[in-house]
Amino acid sequence: MRASKPACLLGLCLLLSVNRPATSAEAFITDQTGDEVSVLDLATQKVVASIAVAGKPAGIAMAPDGRRAYVTSTEGKYVCVIDTASRKILTRIAFPDTPLGIAADPSGDFLYVAGFYKPYLYKIDLKTDAIVAQTETGASPSGVALTPDGSLIVTADRDDDQLSIFDTKSLTRKAIVKVGAHPFGVTVDTEGARAYTANVEGNSVSVVDLKKASLIGNVASGKRPYAVALAKGRGFTTDQYSGTVSVFDLSTLQPVRRISVGEYPEGIETSADGTKVYVVNWFSNEVWAIDTQTLAVTAKMKVGDGPRAFGTFLRETL
Amino acid sequence: MKSLAFFLVLAGMSLPQAGLAHGPSRQKVTEAIEIAAPPAKVWAAIGDFHNLSWLPGVVKTTGEGGNEPDVATRQITLEGGATIDESLYKYDAEKMSYSYRVDKVDVKVLPVNNYSSTLIVLPADGGKSTVEWHGAFYRGYPNNDPPPELNDEAAVKAVTALYRKGLENLKKIVEAQH
Repeated sequence: MRASKPACLLGLCLLLSVNRPATSAEAFITDQTGDEVSVLDLATQKVVASIAVAGKPAGIAMAPDGRRAYVTSTEGKYVCVIDTASRKILTRIAFPDTPLGIAADPSGDFLYVAGFYKPYLYKIDLKTDAIVAQTETGASPSGVALTPDGSLIVTADRDDDQLSIFDTKSLTRKAIVKVGAHPFGVTVDTEGARAYTANVEGNSVSVVDLKKASLIGNVASGKRPYAVALAKGRGFTTDQYSGTVSVFDLSTLQPVRRISVGEYPEGIETSADGTKVYVVNWFSNEVWAIDTQTLAVTAKMKVGDGPRAFGTFLRETL
Repeated sequence: MKSLAFFLVLAGMSLPQAGLAHGPSRQKVTEAIEIAAPPAKVWAAIGDFHNLSWLPGVVKTTGEGGNEPDVATRQITLEGGATIDESLYKYDAEKMSYSYRVDKVDVKVLPVNNYSSTLIVLPADGGKSTVEWHGAFYRGYPNNDPPPELNDEAAVKAVTALYRKGLENLKKIVEAQH
């Protein structure tokens, strides 16, 4: 969808979108144990490149245009800027704490990175590759997400059981919303209306209204949920201990189904066209695809050792 | 909070595992062994969450809740008197597998945090079995720059040694019976 060319004639556009393969995309998977990023071609279902980022990579943010991937190396304490087409590391940005959660501004100009130990969110200017601002969060900020218009930043403050909502421009905290126990991953919907966070120790997902800055409700998940993806009016949560993906309805907030996946599923993201979610299984070193309509597992793909892919890791290649 | 945890670790006291900070990089260990006995025989030896008689170094196990996930808990007493508290969160007799987590352990006994584990018996060629033991955990030291005895390598080494010792003894016991 993102790749539609506005300049072309209507008829030609239709023709192109019909002929375009559904899986013209790649997944950039941070293999923390393997110390590399596996580039997974989702059409051929094979790893086509490995990028030696080192430093125990875990978090990742894909640039909105897919041309750059930003990877946090937890032990190395740096952020790698990767040119996705050439698979080259362009630069390593030193970080004052252990970096984990990371999100890219929709404009492509800034990164927002959470410190794992110190309660701060850092703003990196991608023109200078330097930290230009920081702001205090709750304890142990983990997941970071922005609204699609870039106006708000949300952090999941794990040890304070809350989401913090920031004004992106001023980096001032507008609100704190209490959620379940130990929120980790956080995902904002395409409307920028709601944030969904996986409560690792609450075995639930909290749903937050961003405008009202209030909790809408909680949905039960499997054990130790890690992150959330959204597709076709449903939420999908990776349950690390259960080895399942929990599916729930976004309007009723009722559970729909639990799907067995690999061991210790962690990162999860929806494809650009919404037809698939990709589930990264940390222990069993696999990425699985789930059809968001039928909820069937449609692919199991091998990657490197200890894949986490905490964040956004998909890009379209056409 | 962190400084208190740090002090307790230094003092060698037991810490509750849930809710504390941990290192950024989760570790994993898989150990496997082939046993010359059918899977049902092997499962009979290890399938009870409250029976760790096959694991060297264990003096006794007390607990409750049978093999019911989210209910069953056990306390293991080791030679020398140290204890480990664990709870069952997954149990599948048909797949011959169970999963448990450590709720409380002294890092001097096992240098890990947020430890969870799965035992599974799989059929192997010729009517034999393969037992796999999977562990997922963080290092014993929750903060940056761990001392060597509480770093990632120390955690992996300790868990690997425990699994090897346990599986080799299990093999010996089951094959002697068979």
